[in-house]
Parts: sequence; structure tokens; C-alpha cells
Amino acid sequence: MKRDGTTRLHYLMLVPGVGVILFFIATTVIVTVARSFGLFSITGTSAFTLKHWAVIAMKETRDSVLYSLKMGVLASIGTVLVAFPVALFFRKGGSGKRMLGSLIKIPLFVPALVAAFLIVNLISYHGVVNEVLIGLHLIKAPLRMLNDPFGWGVVFIQVWKNLPFVLLILSASLAGIHDDVVDAARNLGAGRWAVALRIYVPLAMSGILVSMILMFIKAFGDFPIYGVAGPIYPPSISYRMHATATIFQQWDQAAVLGVIIIVTALFVVWAYSRLAEFVGGTE
Amino acid sequence: MSNLIIKNLTKRFDEVVAVDDLSLEVPEGEFLTLLGPSGCGKTTTLRAIAGFHHPDTGEIWFGDRLMNNVPPNKRNTAMCFQSYALFPHMNVWDNISFGLKMRKMPAAQQKTRIREALSMVGLEGLERRKPGQLSGGQQQRVALARAIVTQPDILLFDEPLSNLDAKLRVQVRVEIREMQKRLGITSIYVTHDQDEALAISDRIVIMNRGRIEQMGDPHSIYLHPQTPFVAGFIGLANIFEGRVISRDGDRLSVDTPIGPLSLIDRKRDLQPGSTVGVSWRPEDMRPWAPGAPNHVQATVLYSIFMGSITDLFIDVKGKRLRAQTDNTTKVADGDSIELSVDETAISILRKAE
Repeated sequence: MKRDGTTRLHYLMLVPGVGVILFFIATTVIVTVARSFGLFSITGTSAFTLKHWAVIAMKETRDSVLYSLKMGVLASIGTVLVAFPVALFFRKGGSGKRMLGSLIKIPLFVPALVAAFLIVNLISYHGVVNEVLIGLHLIKAPLRMLNDPFGWGVVFIQVWKNLPFVLLILSASLAGIHDDVVDAARNLGAGRWAVALRIYVPLAMSGILVSMILMFIKAFGDFPIYGVAGPIYPPSISYRMHATATIFQQWDQAAVLGVIIIVTALFVVWAYSRLAEFVGGTE
Repeated sequence: MSNLIIKNLTKRFDEVVAVDDLSLEVPEGEFLTLLGPSGCGKTTTLRAIAGFHHPDTGEIWFGDRLMNNVPPNKRNTAMCFQSYALFPHMNVWDNISFGLKMRKMPAAQQKTRIREALSMVGLEGLERRKPGQLSGGQQQRVALARAIVTQPDILLFDEPLSNLDAKLRVQVRVEIREMQKRLGITSIYVTHDQDEALAISDRIVIMNRGRIEQMGDPHSIYLHPQTPFVAGFIGLANIFEGRVISRDGDRLSVDTPIGPLSLIDRKRDLQPGSTVGVSWRPEDMRPWAPGAPNHVQATVLYSIFMGSITDLFIDVKGKRLRAQTDNTTKVADGDSIELSVDETAISILRKAE
């Protein structure tokens, strides 16, 4: 028995949760990094080499990384931009708040792949949106919103799918802002926009940053949504990693791509913590 | 600066009438306190003045401007909140400059104003601190500086001292009063603390159940309560119901459960047979001297020596009263004591409408 009352039993209780997570994360990361240098090779020959890292010099890899970065940035910004006004509405309350709150959570319960197929029905070449726009004579020919070269279809689905999740985080952040603080700002002459930009946004900044980082990592590492709605080229980094391993049987090169994903995620987390310190979002 | 006129203000929240047909005039530069228990409508009235509540009926005027449909950010009021409501992500300087920035004041002018405000509240040197790095008293001073720096037409205080300890409360209330006098800003102050109201106000409005019970300067409110609610709410009071026995000019004789009492009624509107309430303060009861009116034979239930006074809980004809005599009174529990009440110290309570 330790002085603080912690016993071996307490540590044992952590094993199924924290222990398993740490074990799998640590072993996966270590094996992936090692394999990118030719160690623990799945193909049998294990020897240190940098040759697999040549994959990062390939244009296709750079394009995939840039595409995934683009998706990560746009999806994270897009989701927060859409979710923030909704979270503000729910904070202030209004008629039908409960029903709207339930409706907006629907995407939370839909798996990403199913969500992608649902949205495909809407934005495909002969989907609902194009048919309605043509029916209203707003466009002459269908717009290419799905598998478009830029990836807008993927961004749209990412925003739709993750809106309720981000909404939960932002709502919690906004709920922590005291009404008196908002009233004080209005009392001192701040209009709606000034209150939003000078009070709500900075005070909810920690929630905004958390939302953005989680959204970035989800969209950066996206596999299923790209698979359904992404452009033909370039594939997302996850998709390329999967193809490199299973189609081209280049497991060691795939490990390099895996390391790129891990390092990018770690960099984003580091950048977030620095940004959070700089912004000093809350007290 | 501006005078304030409220005409027949009513504000409901669903079925609850928070403010009920309230009318009030506050001259320019006056320090007026809305005093009452929780739920009496004082904060709702204050928030209606600030523009946070839209009146259901009635009008709010700042000078000759009808404010009913003017949003809070266009009213040029400044409020000090109970919670201070400082912006936690801004330092002291940015908190104080917020209102000036909203008014798009030139930076140089802002600097001058902020320095003046900081000096007025004695917070020079703390400009770069965040609210979380300040004590409660310092935070309330920042809130005060933030309010006065905009030179508002009307200053509003919503129980600003409630979160401070007793000593600091007295200190900050003196500072608030001095500053208000110096600046001459019309001020509306909400509190449930009667001592605070008496100490700080030019005039006090006592509210109960959304209505005004009594309005007057602290002296008249304390010494001449007009309703049982006011007598009971402000200070300590012995309150009884009685019946007028006779009248002799200004002097009334009233039969009460503790015996007949003689008192002064300058209004002369009460006739023999009328039912009235009477009240007097514990400190108005004195050891009886031969010839003094309103002799009361009492039994001491228990006495508490308070330093400057002796607080007596007494029984008179089965009724419990309170008396506060000077600190030379030495009695033991169960002693018999003779006291009297000056007839001018007894207030007549007319029922509230």
C-alpha cells in the first residue's frame, strides 16, 4: 500500500484500458517505424536501409500527401465554420431546440462508409442536387460534385459526417461562457458580430482548436470517404498506403507512408498545443 | 449623463409578474438603490434599464429619449455585475479599453481615458494582468474602471459587492460612492443588503413582489417605515397591530397586545376605531425614567453584550420584543426590567396597496 492509497490492484485495473491502448499503439508505431527502415520486414529479409524512404521523392507520394493535407485543412475549417453558428444557436436556445438537436446528431450514428454512399445519392452526376438544379433551370448540364478533381465532394461529406461531433465539443466550450460576460460586452457597446468575434470565438478557442485537430486527423487519414467520393488522382495518403501494401506488395514503402501519417498527426498536435498557449483561449 | 424616467413598467416571465406597473423618476446625478429580497423584481428592473429585458408594457426614458426599442449596445449605460463579468481572455488594459474600442475612439484618447480610470480605481501597474491573477476586490475595481471609462449616461450596479468579504465590501462601497459623487453619473444600484443601501444611496426604493413599497432617503426609510414589509425588511423592528383608542391633536393612543401606546400622527387621518400597524426600532427602547411615556414592564429572556450595546430579548405580556440599550445595562436572564419607547420613535404602518 502506497502512502496515497494506490495499490497494485489499482494499477491492474488500468491494464484493460490504458495498458492495451499503450501496448498496441507503442508496438504498432515501433514496428511501422522499424519497418520503414527495413527492419522487421514482412517479406522476410530484415536489414537497416534507407531505400524505402525514396518513396517520399516520388511525385505520386507528394501529391497524395498534399491532397490529404488539403482535405484535412478544408474539412477542419469547414466543419468548425458550419458548426459554430449552430452551437451558438443551441447555446442561446430557441424554439424547436430539442428536435433540431436530435436531427443534427443523425450523422453521428451513421458509419462513414454509409454516410459517403448517402451523400453520393445527393451529389452524384445524376443525383438529387443536380436533378433539382436542372429542374429549376439553374444549370444546363449536371455539375461534377462527386469524384471531382479537387475533392469538394469529400470535404462536403466530411463536414456533414462530423458536424454533430464537432457541435458537441463547441457546445461544451460555449456553455462554459458566463452569460454576464456576454451581457457585459453588449452593455459596453458590442453588436452581434463584435460579441461573436471578440467574446465567443476567443473564449471557445480551446474547443475550436480541439475540434480542428480532431477533424484534421480524421480527414487527413481518411480512407472510406475518399474511396467513394474522392478524385481519381491523387489518392489520399491512407488509400495510397493501402494500395502500396496490398496491391503492389510494398509493405516497407507502405510503412514509410504510415510514418508520414503518424508524424503529421504528431506535428499537428504539437502545433495545436503551441497555438493554444499563444491564443490563451480561456482563463 | 442623463435622468431616468420609468413609466408603468411591467415585465412578466410566463406566469410570473417580475415587475408590476413600476414608475420611477431618477434625477440626473442621483445615486438610487433598488432594495428588496430575492425575487422582488429589482434586478429585472435594472436589466430592463440596460436593455437586456424588453418591457411587456411601460416606457423607459433616458432624458427625452424613449429607450424601449434601443438595443443594449446603443444605450450608453455601463453595468457592474455581481460576478464582475470581466473578459477572462483579456488583460486589465484590454478589459477597460473594450467599451472605447466599440465606440471607435482614437487610440491616443483611449490611452488617456484608461490611465485616468486606472488611477481613479488605484490599479496602476496591473494593466497587463489577466482577471484570474487579481483578487476579488481588484477585479471589481477593474469592472468599475471599465464602466466609468465610457462615461455612460447611467451607471448600473447589480449587487456588485456580494462576492467580496465583509471588510472589503465596506471599503469598495465607499470608493464607489466617492467616485459617483466626483463624476456625477446617474447611478442605479441593486442590492438586498440594507446596510449597503443605507450607506451608499441618495434615495432608496424598497421593492416587494414587483412593486414599490416605499421610496425615500435612507433617513426617512429607516426612521419612518410606512408598511409592515419595510419596517421588517430594513433593520430590526418591533411590529404590532393595534386599534386607535383616542386622538388628541397629533397624539394618538393605540391599544396593542403589549398595552396602550402613545404616538404621534402628523397626517391626522386615523380616527378612533381604526386598525393600524405600529413599529419601532430596538434601539428606541430605553430604560424607563419616571414620567417617560410608553412604559413597558418586561422580563429578560436573554441578553447579549455586544460591546457598544446590550442586545435584549424580552417578553412583554407573552409577546417577544427586542431592545438595544447602551452597554451600561447589566441584567441577567429572567430579570424584570422597565423600559420605555419615545412616542416620536413609533412609526405608523399603513398597509401597502
